[in-house]
Amino acid sequence: MMKEGKFGTMEAVALTTIVLITKAFYTSIRVLVKATSTSAWFATLISCSVSILLFLLVYLLMKRFPNKELVEIFEIVTGKFIGKILALIFSAYFVYYAGSSLREFVEMIKAYVLPYTPPSAIIFVFLAVVVFFAYVGLEGIARMSYISLIIVIIGLTLILILPLPFYNVDNLFPLAGYSLQTTLFSGLLRASAYSDVIFLAFIINAIHGVKQFKKVGLTSLALSGAIISVTILCSILAFEYTQASENLSALFQLSRNIYFNRFFQRVESIFIFIWVVASIMNVALAFYMSASIFCKTFKIPNHRPSLLPFAFCTFTVTLLPQSLSEVVERNVLFLRQYSAVITYLIPLLVLLLSLIRGKKGEKIKI
Amino acid sequence: MKKFISLLIIFNLSSLLTSCTTDSKEIDNQVYTLIIGCDKAVDNKIRLTVQYPTYKGGSTGGSQKSGGGGDSDKESGVVDNTIVQTVEASSILEALDLMNTSTTRKISLVQAKAIVFSEEMAREGIKNYLQPIARFRETRRIMQLIICRGSAQDFIKENRTAIGDSVAKAMELASLQSDSTGYFPRTPFQEFYNAVISPYRQPFAVYAGINDYTHLKPLDPDSPSPLRPQIEILPGDIPRQGDRKFEMIGTAVFNGDKMVGTLSSYETRYLMMVTSSFKRGIMTIEDKNSKQDAIPLDIRLGRKTKIKTHFENSTPVIDIKINIEADIGAIQSRVKYEKLSNISDLNNQIETNIKKGVEETIKKAQTEWNTDIFSFGKKIARNFFTTTEFEKYNWLEHFTDAKINVEVDANVRRTGIMMDSSPIKYSEMKK
Repeated sequence: MMKEGKFGTMEAVALTTIVLITKAFYTSIRVLVKATSTSAWFATLISCSVSILLFLLVYLLMKRFPNKELVEIFEIVTGKFIGKILALIFSAYFVYYAGSSLREFVEMIKAYVLPYTPPSAIIFVFLAVVVFFAYVGLEGIARMSYISLIIVIIGLTLILILPLPFYNVDNLFPLAGYSLQTTLFSGLLRASAYSDVIFLAFIINAIHGVKQFKKVGLTSLALSGAIISVTILCSILAFEYTQASENLSALFQLSRNIYFNRFFQRVESIFIFIWVVASIMNVALAFYMSASIFCKTFKIPNHRPSLLPFAFCTFTVTLLPQSLSEVVERNVLFLRQYSAVITYLIPLLVLLLSLIRGKKGEKIKI
Repeated sequence: MKKFISLLIIFNLSSLLTSCTTDSKEIDNQVYTLIIGCDKAVDNKIRLTVQYPTYKGGSTGGSQKSGGGGDSDKESGVVDNTIVQTVEASSILEALDLMNTSTTRKISLVQAKAIVFSEEMAREGIKNYLQPIARFRETRRIMQLIICRGSAQDFIKENRTAIGDSVAKAMELASLQSDSTGYFPRTPFQEFYNAVISPYRQPFAVYAGINDYTHLKPLDPDSPSPLRPQIEILPGDIPRQGDRKFEMIGTAVFNGDKMVGTLSSYETRYLMMVTSSFKRGIMTIEDKNSKQDAIPLDIRLGRKTKIKTHFENSTPVIDIKINIEADIGAIQSRVKYEKLSNISDLNNQIETNIKKGVEETIKKAQTEWNTDIFSFGKKIARNFFTTTEFEKYNWLEHFTDAKINVEVDANVRRTGIMMDSSPIKYSEMKK
């Protein structure tokens, strides 16, 4: 049995929130505005609400098997062989998630900050930090997330408040976007963007059980939904929907436009700092989860020896896309639009199967 | 663990000291462009002119040594302590590379304060040159977009300063004059580009030119010195002499990426009043109670202009309510407008003047160019439920059909540091 340590609700909420909101720093805003125009800010709230519903269904599964992590539940309900396969699908998914997120980060940093640095150099340095975090373990990542989230929230607030002179409320009209159906459809589809919260089901014992699982999940989903929605709202207020759908990173563009006077301008370095911090925490957690799920599947008590092989796998995934277009139109599209097929559908099928087969965990003796 | 940490530190340090040096740049190894100019080329697509400081004289773009310099200075493009370099190429970015073949330091655009297009080029359309600026990592969208009369190359050659050392500082301060005069708008590239692709509005830019000082006529003792308030002046035509020849006044109006017309200094003020970007300025009106006497007023917007829209039998109706506050600068006629009983008369004169000006400016934009530079489309959009419906309606096409109602509410708040005008006493010769 792997020992992952234990941490409190605040750390767990910070960890989950930072993972969920990091996508707002990348290309997600552009994609959503392109699909829905002026209604993107509430399309993401629809996504968040759908994700909350699906998360509550996953909670029902976790409640049926108190003190059991998802890897164990898979094996109890579907048998050892299929259970292991299902767990390995999640392990592979997190490798793909870590690699794709890292590549998206690299592409963005090359576009804006380091255009001529070899991508492999950035990936190596980034992965080294990520491996170090994973080596320290989940508790370390969670505690670091708590500190990071404070920095990220302060930085994000500054970036969203400073361009205030550029905001125009009229840019939000017509309110319904391209159409209510389009907004609803995009909102439903992009519930996947909030499905990363599923990782909590794999570390349920580290966050003190199923009650905390529900509390942490719902709090972080609501918090992330609000933060991402406000970010999209500010992007539309500043750029109108036409330009907001052109910008590679809406937030970075917003920070580049800040101009108060001759002495107060060019403050995007704030953004780069919080961007790097949030990205590291995001990739570190995904990377740790992939190794951790693998180890739990095969009952390996220590995850550290598997870190280097997993780092190699992540590195390979990172280098797979040929271009930024491939990253955005394939990897990121899958993660933010279709990943719920893995993250929510598998646990829900397992829940259905457990109901049909009458499988249930043992009651906790108080 | 210790080994791992040591390895990590060594690895990160080696990465930082080797690979990342690809992007490291010594500040001193580059020259920082102050202004970019685009003209129509003769043998290629674009003639690009950039101005950058020479770092001589201990300041950025300094101009301690005024004057044009000798023939060798003219050939090398030296203007004060800056260099103005011009090249023809197929694109903006390639032109920069071509320039780098002759400069000893890499030309960087990260500090560029303005981009200038010649009027000739702007009238043909500038879409091919907006993309590289919007897309290129080095350029910042906070730079001002200027349309100049004549060539951008000649215009940039006159970008110098007689006050202070720094041309860069002079440029930033010059653009701030918009706030104290209202004679030209502030148009960051961001705003312009946004408007070019917007379904709500059309873009406009600062209109600028070179004044050759010929518009200031020689003194004539027999001239009746007629009062000509709110005269339509275009850049380069201000009757003045002294300081730099570079001047910004008026607005270049666009339809999409093509320049279609211009607004004069006062029309620009009316545009800015409608868009609530007017900060303050001195407005001179003719005293209706004493013809040929002027009343200069320090005017500003009392509050943001209110714009309401609705449809009447499928005709868009736009109601504009402008609130103006004014301080009296002078009353040449010495009519006692300061008195409570007379102040409403002065308020009415201001309201009539501004209402007429705003109506004529909007009419001009509607009938001559059909370009909504006033961003009315953003208010019209409130009448639509979906973006699809709004885009299908195509507001930019329908702007010309809109019925505009202008209401101006003016209030003279203060009378300067005088509360009364006593009559002037004359003595008569004894017969």
